[in-house]
Amino acid sequence: MPLVKRDDDPEDTLDELLQDKARIEELPSNDDDAYEDVESDNSGIPFPGRPSKAERRREESLPPWLQAATLNLFHDELQTTTSEAQTKVTADCLPLLTGRDTQGLPLNSHGLPHLRREQHVNFLHSQLGPFPAPYVAIDASRPWFFYWTMAGLSILGEDVRQFRDRLMETVRPLQNKTGGFGGGHGQYSHCAGSYATVLALATIGGLDMIDRKAMWEWLGTVKQADGGFRMAVGAEEDIRGAYCAMTIITLLNLPLDLPPDAPARKADLTTFTDRLGEWVGRCQSYEGGIGGAPTNEAHGAYAFCALACLSILDAPHVSIPKYLDAPALLSWLAARQTQPEGGFQGRQEKLVDACYAHWVGGCWDLIQAAVAPAASNGMNADVWNRAALIRYLLTCCQQPGKKGGMRDKPSTRPDAYHTCYSLAGLSHAQNHYQYDKAAPTRDGEKGRLTAAFNWTAEKATETELQGWRIEREDVVEFVHPVFVLPMGVVEECRGLFEGVGILEGAVIPRVVGENAMSCDAGLDGV
Amino acid sequence: MGNIDFTSPLWADLTPLPTDEGGDHPLAAIAYTEEYATTMSYLRAVMALSEHSPRVLLLTAELIDMNPAHYTVWLYRAETLFALSADLHEELEWLNETALDHQKNYQIWHHRMLIVDRLGESEGEAEFVEQMFERDAKNYHVWSYRQWMVKRFGLWEKGELEFTEGLIRRDVRNNSAWNHRWFVVNGREGEGVEGVEGVKGDEGVREREVGFAKREIGRAPQNLCGWSYLRGVVRKGGMRLGELKEFAGQFAGLDGGEVRSSHALDLMAEILAEEEGGRERAGEALDMLMETYDPVRRNYWEYRKGMLGLPSAAA
Repeated sequence: MPLVKRDDDPEDTLDELLQDKARIEELPSNDDDAYEDVESDNSGIPFPGRPSKAERRREESLPPWLQAATLNLFHDELQTTTSEAQTKVTADCLPLLTGRDTQGLPLNSHGLPHLRREQHVNFLHSQLGPFPAPYVAIDASRPWFFYWTMAGLSILGEDVRQFRDRLMETVRPLQNKTGGFGGGHGQYSHCAGSYATVLALATIGGLDMIDRKAMWEWLGTVKQADGGFRMAVGAEEDIRGAYCAMTIITLLNLPLDLPPDAPARKADLTTFTDRLGEWVGRCQSYEGGIGGAPTNEAHGAYAFCALACLSILDAPHVSIPKYLDAPALLSWLAARQTQPEGGFQGRQEKLVDACYAHWVGGCWDLIQAAVAPAASNGMNADVWNRAALIRYLLTCCQQPGKKGGMRDKPSTRPDAYHTCYSLAGLSHAQNHYQYDKAAPTRDGEKGRLTAAFNWTAEKATETELQGWRIEREDVVEFVHPVFVLPMGVVEECRGLFEGVGILEGAVIPRVVGENAMSCDAGLDGV
Repeated sequence: MGNIDFTSPLWADLTPLPTDEGGDHPLAAIAYTEEYATTMSYLRAVMALSEHSPRVLLLTAELIDMNPAHYTVWLYRAETLFALSADLHEELEWLNETALDHQKNYQIWHHRMLIVDRLGESEGEAEFVEQMFERDAKNYHVWSYRQWMVKRFGLWEKGELEFTEGLIRRDVRNNSAWNHRWFVVNGREGEGVEGVEGVKGDEGVREREVGFAKREIGRAPQNLCGWSYLRGVVRKGGMRLGELKEFAGQFAGLDGGEVRSSHALDLMAEILAEEEGGRERAGEALDMLMETYDPVRRNYWEYRKGMLGLPSAAA
């Protein structure tokens, strides 16, 4: 059987974000023979015995957090399940981080592996299927695969419009007449499935197939009296719902007024944003981080959902301090960068995982826009360590061998989820994103929330690249700090429904392929 | 072969609705087994009729067994169970087996919540959840369920605090257990039961929690969970941070002793900054962090120095 489902993974990363357990991974295939583990010393002791001259030179060139003196700090005697797992991960990562084991990857002039563009592109293509039967586990989360692949390929600079017709045809049966998208044909509409589908359609210029009025009405059924959103009717209420719903509303320029028969109106709510900021604020825990719902444990993915949701509601420097204790959250986020791996963990005393390169790595642009002072160059001064994250991703998370793709950590296999969010994380680390505080945050008095459209992106300087020990060819494309899409795509979305009302008629769905007759979901109920 | 015989008369009145694949070349298409494809076709058929009948329970159980991440199947099953006023104890027994096979599945815990809520009793639930923690003591869904259970059935004082203590004893770095402790101690404010803020004149809860956190920090000073908790209690309890100076000082090595915890240094920097004329010493603690004890967060410690109005270190 070529596939396994990793149910025994002690690190749950972001299963919860997937609303599924779609982390299907491939068992080693023959092409991995290309990778020969020339150094099998995995003791985790970076410099055993007497180091050679070359090794000493290599050690001296390592950044401070990988120097032996730092590695020797703080080893509490008390061993527990957590510390044992951590010790093992550190031992797996150190040889790769220090370059003692390069896994046969081509290196740049600074000694770090190049980004394996071609292999990652191929891997992402392979994640578009067709998949064999055991992938039935992703039958309720195929929209995520559309998004992860389209976003991942875009971040690598690939033109994804080649998938336009196929993608639009594929998602057609997922759109329900009552609005929104399910995980598959005949499945209930779901915030995650709708979010992933809307984003994927945005990348290929296919948003006009969406029945906006029905989407608006469906979103009205998941808005809750306390201000939050359920993921689906009858399903859980958590902060993903808030971020996904506000993203959809903003990209599609849906009215902020709740539909007339939205249940939340009975509790005197009139708009989608009523009590929302307050609800997000209630998710901040005593640690300073953000839980999936009030009183839940602080978790990196939910921190991103909270910050991005607030950055849709208003300018980040207005909404973030208004609803959150920003310094406490900043401190919590800073503590998520792991020593010595340099990537991010999702929770206190959990293991590093590449997906948090985005979930935590993506928080910096948002929170720095809110609280960090400006540096001399006018940019926000960095509060985090870009070089460490870049090193972790390039050395530990690229799958060696022909297959490519990116992985959680060296002991795991690559998948679409980790590939997409590793690349997004790389983009956060390698590029600069700046919020324009002078730009308007509302399109007229009752119009669209426009704060999320006020971001600009800028490439890093040569000096910065040198400092991060990478070359220009390994820099990936911009990714929008709020919507996690190419910047140009977001700008396109902004223009697409500008001034388009919803009640005077939905956009007629574009006819695609041969089954155009059944492409009528968009016309029902208008 | 599946467990359902669709040639039996039980299904004869239904016309299965095959999946609409979305064209000839759908993306991320799955080569479904015939069994799954057929069962799903019958589910679509009953859903199209909004049928809530015993045979729906057969269909959904079969599908969940094949794909437990199928949220629609779970939601439709719950609707059907309630519409039929089905035996929910029986449902719970079935769920117990399924949960052991698919512990990391979200839907299973949401479904369990719906069932147990409707049953109105939580007998055996705490024990079942603990069994789950034997396998993974940090499972987010299970903790979320545990919180719901405590709140729904008012189990605040039914050994819950001791339960967190046991888990923290077993693994002091289990932050989920720490978070649950916070919830148990502070989760009833809406009901007028004070947490660490303390009733006027009674600081018992606060003192107990401060003592607990300090003791656990002592067992593993570089474990952040205990420090976060302690800071949380102090802040919410209205204490001055300075009251922790002596305690944090033991681990911070500011006077030339051994630095046993970077978190203690961090806390000392904050305490000193609040003291009259303590800013320079706070800066020294931050310097120690960025130069030696926590260089990966250099920029963050720089930022903290900047917030104190201190000049940044030469890069």
